[in-house]
Amino acid sequence: MGTDAVSEARSKSRPTASRRGFLAGLLAAGMAPQASWADIGSPAYLAAGRTMDGRFLLAGLDHTGRILFRHPLPARGHAATAHPTRPEAVAFARRPGQFADVIDCRSGQALTRLTPPPGHHFYGHGTYSPDGNLLFTTENAFETGEGRIGLWEASTTYRRIGSIASGGIGPHDMRLRQDAPGLVVANGGIQTHPDSGRAKLNLPAMQPNLSYLTLEGEVEHQLQLDGDLRLNSIRHLAMRADGTVGFAMQWQGDPGADLPIVGLHRPGSTALLIAAEDPRLRNLQGYGGSIAFSPDGHEVAVTSPRGGVVQVADCASATLLREHWLTDVCGLATDRSGFVVTTGQGRIARLSAGAVKDPIDHDLAWDNHLIPLL
Amino acid sequence: MNPTVMTQPVKTRSAAPKGTSTTPARLRASVWGVGVAMGLSLLAPTGPLQAETKTAATAATQMATTVPALVTDQQVEWILTQHILPGFDQLASQSAALAQTANQTCRHDDPALQQAFADAFDAWIRVNHLRFGPTEAENRAFALAFWPDTRGKIPDALRQALLADAETTAGFADPAAFATQSVALRGFYALEYLLYDATIRDVAEPAQTCALIRAIATDIAATTAAIRADWHTGYADQLRRPGDRYRSDSEVRQELFKALNTGLQLLGDMRLGRPLGGFDKPRPKRAEAWRSARSLHHIRLTLAAMEPLALALAAEDTALADQLRAAFDKARARAAALQDPTLASVTIPAERFRIETLLQDVTDLREIVATELGPRLGVNAGFNSLDGD
Repeated sequence: MGTDAVSEARSKSRPTASRRGFLAGLLAAGMAPQASWADIGSPAYLAAGRTMDGRFLLAGLDHTGRILFRHPLPARGHAATAHPTRPEAVAFARRPGQFADVIDCRSGQALTRLTPPPGHHFYGHGTYSPDGNLLFTTENAFETGEGRIGLWEASTTYRRIGSIASGGIGPHDMRLRQDAPGLVVANGGIQTHPDSGRAKLNLPAMQPNLSYLTLEGEVEHQLQLDGDLRLNSIRHLAMRADGTVGFAMQWQGDPGADLPIVGLHRPGSTALLIAAEDPRLRNLQGYGGSIAFSPDGHEVAVTSPRGGVVQVADCASATLLREHWLTDVCGLATDRSGFVVTTGQGRIARLSAGAVKDPIDHDLAWDNHLIPLL
Repeated sequence: MNPTVMTQPVKTRSAAPKGTSTTPARLRASVWGVGVAMGLSLLAPTGPLQAETKTAATAATQMATTVPALVTDQQVEWILTQHILPGFDQLASQSAALAQTANQTCRHDDPALQQAFADAFDAWIRVNHLRFGPTEAENRAFALAFWPDTRGKIPDALRQALLADAETTAGFADPAAFATQSVALRGFYALEYLLYDATIRDVAEPAQTCALIRAIATDIAATTAAIRADWHTGYADQLRRPGDRYRSDSEVRQELFKALNTGLQLLGDMRLGRPLGGFDKPRPKRAEAWRSARSLHHIRLTLAAMEPLALALAAEDTALADQLRAAFDKARARAAALQDPTLASVTIPAERFRIETLLQDVTDLREIVATELGPRLGVNAGFNSLDGD
């Protein structure tokens, strides 16, 4: 990328108050923009899915789990991210896909489609800068195998303006830091190439990490897990208001290993591994699908579609509190009263007060992630 | 199912335990109160309990080995009364017998103790795929079976317990206290070390080892009695009348389908896959229960337990049932022909292929289950579980 892009990234990215606080401020001042998240019809969640006849879509869902819109996708989707102020979101292709659809969340109408530059594909996750002027996307520069973060101008045109190094191989989920300006990236460590589909090319040498990047692309902090955990691919992230990062891993070694799947980390300190000595760890079958904090930040939850289970742990003591059993559960988001989950069998339900509540079944398969919007 | 391992037929109960408590003290009282010859009755039936009468009247005493023609509406009831309930009844009664025997003789090489251990362990292996509901409460399944023990926690925990001070050892005699110990110190695999591995057993004096053998056996009896009680006093009805834990009959069938998958996955990935390792790196010491030479036996038991469940789930689809039966026949014949109780031959290139071929048979079975049986039961091939990111 050019230095212009770097300076643009620096100049336009400052931490702001939360979206809700921002909106409240605007509304109180009587100067709401023409289109905002406060508009009637905006969904509470986004989720990719597959219909019974094999087509792919991104759906907008309201707080009760009803579908407000369906946006068709050209192939399987993965995650999405919401613009901080405009009622707009980007739905990403699942790796090694090469599309990212920007949609108007009030209607589901497509606004534009992003395509990565030649030699890159998307990994399925991304995030906006706090002011919404930049979009960041995790990408694979697959000829070299280097992980990149794509930069897109997002104030008006969604023009590609460059990329920065992700700090490792296989960048997957990515979040804005809450404790400082910058990004935190889960570099899963697994090299792939579109010519060989999703085959893992470097397992013997893989080294995942959690990289904290400045918006100029410098690695400020990096977490690497040692020993056996080198084969535990750091994939998905949750961000707590105080800047604590929750990370969920996917084990690449022999089945049956009892290794932790969830950890908490703050830059400059060691990671706290959740439930590391609890036998129920193996109910996750070595696979964390999505991760989220409870509304008060005291609990962290992880889904495992392989185990058909959601595990909820106490952050302070790193101990497991409870399990919820749901077939093919993977999507997970923080809800006002706890958590919301989605399953490959079409169910969306709340996890509240230790129970599965208010399930709604849709005639489609929900994909890996549930993205909260409000 | 191999009839030689179905020892000690148990009389039909007239009723299940009245007010069965899951507290170890109550269980201890009921377990020790009656002789082993009375089989299940030592789980303290003292009078009829209305809610359980139906179960008691219809449940078989042994897990079924053949499946009659079933229509879809009969599937769940058949699986409950011919597979699940007799399986957990057997587990509880054989475990009670194990505890009884251990309290009579705790010499590791006593044939009666080794036989009681074998019978109870067999009963567990026949139901260890039923990992939902009562087995998942209070970590019970892990307390019975912490396997695979990939980080060597069981021998560590045993060494520590065997070398503990007198006060700690005295605590082993208290079932409630022992039930709070790490799962690595509890269950069949820990007991196997004490009975069959001299390097662990001889860490301590025989009296110390004896106390631990008795504590583990007693704990197994309490845990299995609690699982059995939960099945009879409520969970069976959750399957019969969906609404609370399950929302529909279809969800119940999916739970049972998942149990079948769990069993086949254990069989393929763990019981066969772990000792096979890679061709260049076979791992014979990863075979399950090799110390007691039960590795191959567990594979045969699992196949025998999975077949009726699979056939019952196929129900009216006779073509699918035939397909499944043929695949089980193939795997069963291959397992029967193996003459390697500990799977040690994974290290011998000229013999290893026999075990690899059996693994392939199991993989074929899993394929039929996933692609034919799953869709029939309304289970999509795990959109997320099989192909996550």
